[in-house]
Amino acid sequence: MNRSFIPAQTVIREIIPENDQISTFRIEIIDKTILFTFLPGQFLMISVPHCGEAAISISSSPDALPLIDLSIRRAGKLTTAIHAMKKGAQLGIRGPFGTAFPVETFAARNLLFVAGGIGLAPLKSVIDHCLFQNGVEEDAVLSISLLYGSRSPSDIAFQRVINEWQEQGIDVHLTVDEKDEHWNGAVGRVTELLDDTRTANNTTALVCGPPVMIRSVIDRLKALGCEDTDIFITLERHMKCGMGLCGHCHLDSKLICTDGPVFSVSALTTMDVMELC
Amino acid sequence: MIDLKELILPKDNLIPLLRKLNKDARLVIPVKNDHGDTLFTEISDLDTTEIDLINQPQASLKPFFLPQQETLAHYSINSNQYCFTAPDAAIDTIFFGVRSCDLTALLYMDLIFSKPSKDATYYDRRNHSLIITLGCNNPFENCFCEATNSGPYLEYGYGLQFIDLGDRYYVSAGRGRGADLLERWSYFFHEVGEEDHKVRYQLFLEARGQFSRNIQLTHACQKLQKETVPDEIWQSLAERCYDCGGCAYVCPTCTCFSVDDKPQSSNTGIRVRSWDACTSDGFTRMAGGHNPVTRDRQALKRRFLHKLKYDFASHGKASCTGCGRCVDICFGGVDITTFIELFTRQQNP
Repeated sequence: MNRSFIPAQTVIREIIPENDQISTFRIEIIDKTILFTFLPGQFLMISVPHCGEAAISISSSPDALPLIDLSIRRAGKLTTAIHAMKKGAQLGIRGPFGTAFPVETFAARNLLFVAGGIGLAPLKSVIDHCLFQNGVEEDAVLSISLLYGSRSPSDIAFQRVINEWQEQGIDVHLTVDEKDEHWNGAVGRVTELLDDTRTANNTTALVCGPPVMIRSVIDRLKALGCEDTDIFITLERHMKCGMGLCGHCHLDSKLICTDGPVFSVSALTTMDVMELC
Repeated sequence: MIDLKELILPKDNLIPLLRKLNKDARLVIPVKNDHGDTLFTEISDLDTTEIDLINQPQASLKPFFLPQQETLAHYSINSNQYCFTAPDAAIDTIFFGVRSCDLTALLYMDLIFSKPSKDATYYDRRNHSLIITLGCNNPFENCFCEATNSGPYLEYGYGLQFIDLGDRYYVSAGRGRGADLLERWSYFFHEVGEEDHKVRYQLFLEARGQFSRNIQLTHACQKLQKETVPDEIWQSLAERCYDCGGCAYVCPTCTCFSVDDKPQSSNTGIRVRSWDACTSDGFTRMAGGHNPVTRDRQALKRRFLHKLKYDFASHGKASCTGCGRCVDICFGGVDITTFIELFTRQQNP
């Protein structure tokens, strides 16, 4: 049997609605003899019988294992099927796949997270991991700030966890493209929240969101003096295997599944980044 | 003691030899069918089948190792749980009459399907295969294997290589099973004489002189490492690409695929792997509709750059074997040779 394409079974332990379209599915591998671990930034191929597979990033920290969070936006046939599932239902997983954020280099640095929409999901894994690591002095980061853009106030996802992060000292700034009558926060693009107070020396920026947002955030960060080597992005592509074989996730000479999804911007400078958006 | 690495097989002994080989393994040989198409075909009866060693097989060996659609596993759903069972295992197969380009392509596929770990179904078939090639004394109209360094004769990679010397074959054995086979059936063969050497070399030189097309493939690969392809070239190619996927399907080195579940009933189905083509509009489309590489953005450039730029950079060799099938099949005339000709003609501004 071609084991590479056969998923392990997991059971859904909890479903946390994040907004109208996004829910977090907290899953656990059924077969306890399967050794499973991952690093923040890596992704899984999720299987639903009759629907096939899709690449979904892990939104929880490895510290929360054996529980694994998948924050999934209802977008196509497979994700719609997942959203119809109840606690106790089963999902297949393959992985983990791809590169991770270099969390081992984050000690004693200021971390600046910039996210748009569902793009907060893979960054959440890093934030939770850093908060966990903060208990260990030598691994502790200096500060964490998050700039998070959503289309409208009702589209803001992960509100519950954002509140918890703020209680733990994370500097959070939210912005929306379009406000409603209850919103009295910032309005506008997430790049407008970026100024030189956030990119002081010793800052590592981690960016995820729609391709257009990623490009403008990279441009803005560089204009503010951030080095390419200190900016990390994570990309999303259509994938069929996750292992560097099927070819669907090509980006110039790279494959997102094995060379990414996490890239240092310095690695992108040699690539045709027009394909990013 | 005779040297088992190189022997002569009188043509009269070919069918008796194949009959012996067929006792232990499935035989796949080019056969011209009733429609006039020459295709690699599993032989059920050697006596009634007319083997076609004259024409180029229209499809490569690819479908035998990476089938157009293959079942990776059967599944059944029991209260929403997948249960997988394995498909049939591969059976021993001897491929005879394989052209040099197609074996070269198979060696490339070996490389692709060996990472991150050996692909189980591909290698199951590969490990049950023995490839007997037939050197090309008369390259076909659109062939350019000389430019891709994959023919007309081969130096390595084959189980056995046959060269047609008229009334006899000059047979060279590769390592492993090819040499074993010569030893086991040595009574069909006789030793190579001085004259056989001479004739073989003469035929080789003549074959090399017969290529009608001079494709600057290596030059194109080297130029691609340094220069960007002007948008006008992509535009002119894209205008005449009809997104049929034909080039990718006939290409012996195009290995991109999709994996899907195909329901067979409400609670059973198969997980299938099927060919896909990077030139297709939907190849990169994500759930929700966003597509980073559309036809407007010249999806077809991926195909040429992958083969000529990226593979050349990473393996030192382009993943084009000069078989000419994409030239045969593209009715827009925008095959890989068109790209190479347009790009190599382009002067550095």
